Amino acid sequence: MDILANVAQGFSVALQPVNLLSCFIGVFIGTLVGVLPGIGPVSAMSLLLPVTLAGSPEAGIIMMAGIYYGSMYGGSTTSILVNIPGEAASVVTCLDGHQMARQGRAGPALGIAALGSFFAGTFAIVALMLVAPALASVAIAFGPAEYFSLMVLGLTVLTFLTQGSMAKALLMACVGAVLGLIGLDSITAQPRLTFERIELYDGIGLVPVVMGLFGIAEVLSNIERPISRQILDAKITQLWPSRADWRASAAPVMRGTLLGFFLGILPGGGAVIASFASYALEKRLSKTPERFGRGAIEGVAGPEAANNAAAGGAFIPLMTLGIPPNVVMALLMGAFIIHGLQPGPLMMSQNPALFWAIVVSMYIGNVMLLVLNLPLVGMWAQLLRLPYNVLFPLIVLFSIIGVYCSSNNVFDVYVMIAFGILGYLMRKTGYEPAPLVLAFVLGPMLENNLRKALILSQGELTTFLTRPISAACLLFAAVLLVFPLLPSLRRKREAVALDEGA
Amino acid sequence: MLRPSGPRAALDNAELWAGLFWLALGAFVVFAGRDLGTGTLAAPGSGFLPFWAGLLMCGLALAVVAGAARHGGPAIAWLWAGTRWPKVLLIVASLAAYATVLDVLGFLVATVPLMLVLLRGIDPVRWRTALPLAALSTLGVWWVLKRLLLIQLPAGIFEIG
Repeated sequence: MDILANVAQGFSVALQPVNLLSCFIGVFIGTLVGVLPGIGPVSAMSLLLPVTLAGSPEAGIIMMAGIYYGSMYGGSTTSILVNIPGEAASVVTCLDGHQMARQGRAGPALGIAALGSFFAGTFAIVALMLVAPALASVAIAFGPAEYFSLMVLGLTVLTFLTQGSMAKALLMACVGAVLGLIGLDSITAQPRLTFERIELYDGIGLVPVVMGLFGIAEVLSNIERPISRQILDAKITQLWPSRADWRASAAPVMRGTLLGFFLGILPGGGAVIASFASYALEKRLSKTPERFGRGAIEGVAGPEAANNAAAGGAFIPLMTLGIPPNVVMALLMGAFIIHGLQPGPLMMSQNPALFWAIVVSMYIGNVMLLVLNLPLVGMWAQLLRLPYNVLFPLIVLFSIIGVYCSSNNVFDVYVMIAFGILGYLMRKTGYEPAPLVLAFVLGPMLENNLRKALILSQGELTTFLTRPISAACLLFAAVLLVFPLLPSLRRKREAVALDEGA
Repeated sequence: MLRPSGPRAALDNAELWAGLFWLALGAFVVFAGRDLGTGTLAAPGSGFLPFWAGLLMCGLALAVVAGAARHGGPAIAWLWAGTRWPKVLLIVASLAAYATVLDVLGFLVATVPLMLVLLRGIDPVRWRTALPLAALSTLGVWWVLKRLLLIQLPAGIFEIG
């Protein structure tokens, strides 16, 4: 009954016209950035982070959340029609989705992607509604040691799943943590690594770092080589999948939903990992795995459901523990913080209207997305004809504006350019930006909890091992760190390692 | 993205130079952490985490450097072989110039030329598209931010906008 009362409260807030409008703007922009290659949810959310200041916290956060799960819907359109993933979580959809389009079945591919996404998104919201309150009540008992160890685990999982060398990924996590510490020490108020620049006393802003590493670096990388796109000219007909398509897709959608939801909850996990894992699972379970890569609808249905379910699941660690499991959630946490709110176990009791409004807005957003992505798919397909030489100057303009508006200071534009160059060079030399950004956000929290845990235990390092949850997290992190040292296991890691982010 | 290649002479190895850069940065962080004061385990100081994170950075960077010395890596020039690197430089230079003049010239006066450089300098868009696009996108953004969202943008010495 409590849940029903809470949901009713959520509806009363989410259905306010301004919040409905925010939800629509969020899912619309989400679909747009999902469709357009070269700009992903991370860039779009950091761009719009300052804009959320203009409205209420509910409206701002509902819009930011809408961009994330909206981009999961939109990403499939580009994958299917152009064979270029709109965002990273739709990479696998290219494999079978584009083949289906080439065989004249773009309609059913787009249809099953949208309907599977709707089912998975709805399941994830219901599960979030049921799991979050229970987990939040457990999380209240967490102390600094548990929080520290959980953050270490989250960073380790992300570095483990990042493409390429794990040493490089860990190195990036360390760099991110140190960058996050720049500014005044939260305990002693001593300036750290500020080089006596007044602009650095408040630390480096999240927006210029993310816009540089993901937005500008992506533009610089794309400009290096001319991008050629072949958009299928065939008219998109029969979006509703046939009975045979439904029979083939029902089980993959359900499996993808469950798998995606659980992978989404894991710290360091996310939609990208979920979509790859679902594709691998479907191929393994299929009686005709040779059809995969040649237009198997299961190869579209499973991953698309998985990435949407993961997007919903990722809200759980943020809302219940106050720990963002991936870069996108780190940005959402930024939105909470700039509105003076602290996501975590106490949010549900201290600010129930906001929590339930966000959850309920996701129901509404999912319905909006279905309408935006099925009947209007032709409009999104037309957008793909926008050439990159017109698109990238607009991305640069919006990046500059987003960064400038976050602080009203040109210094942050310089920071963005510097991180843009750094991000470009990092891509060239095989360093992934995702661990850096997550550690940048977690760094101050990690330090705070480490120091508190040490002070409370009077310098006893065993405090991290004598508390069961903390010990379990550190043990799991240690296993993941040792894992790549064993050659046979290293090959397995390389098989699942993914390119998270942009 | 980095692709494997055969061993290279030590000085022409991008992997090695990248590792050395991070090693130098790690060493700097270690010294900065020590100067800030690491404190004790029972009362960690401001430099506690920077010091240990810097040490970890050094260790990991050394692992990268050792790997580069043992297995080699791509030559620096190879990373840019066949790419349009002057276009990348043009974007970086125009962004840096823009940041320098933004406060002086103001948003409207500085942004239109930047958009024109980006539209015409990389994969040239026709003038009849580039000119209205540069002007309208700048004006549109200015109007939304200044009038709708009431966000202050620099007006510059000409006080336009």
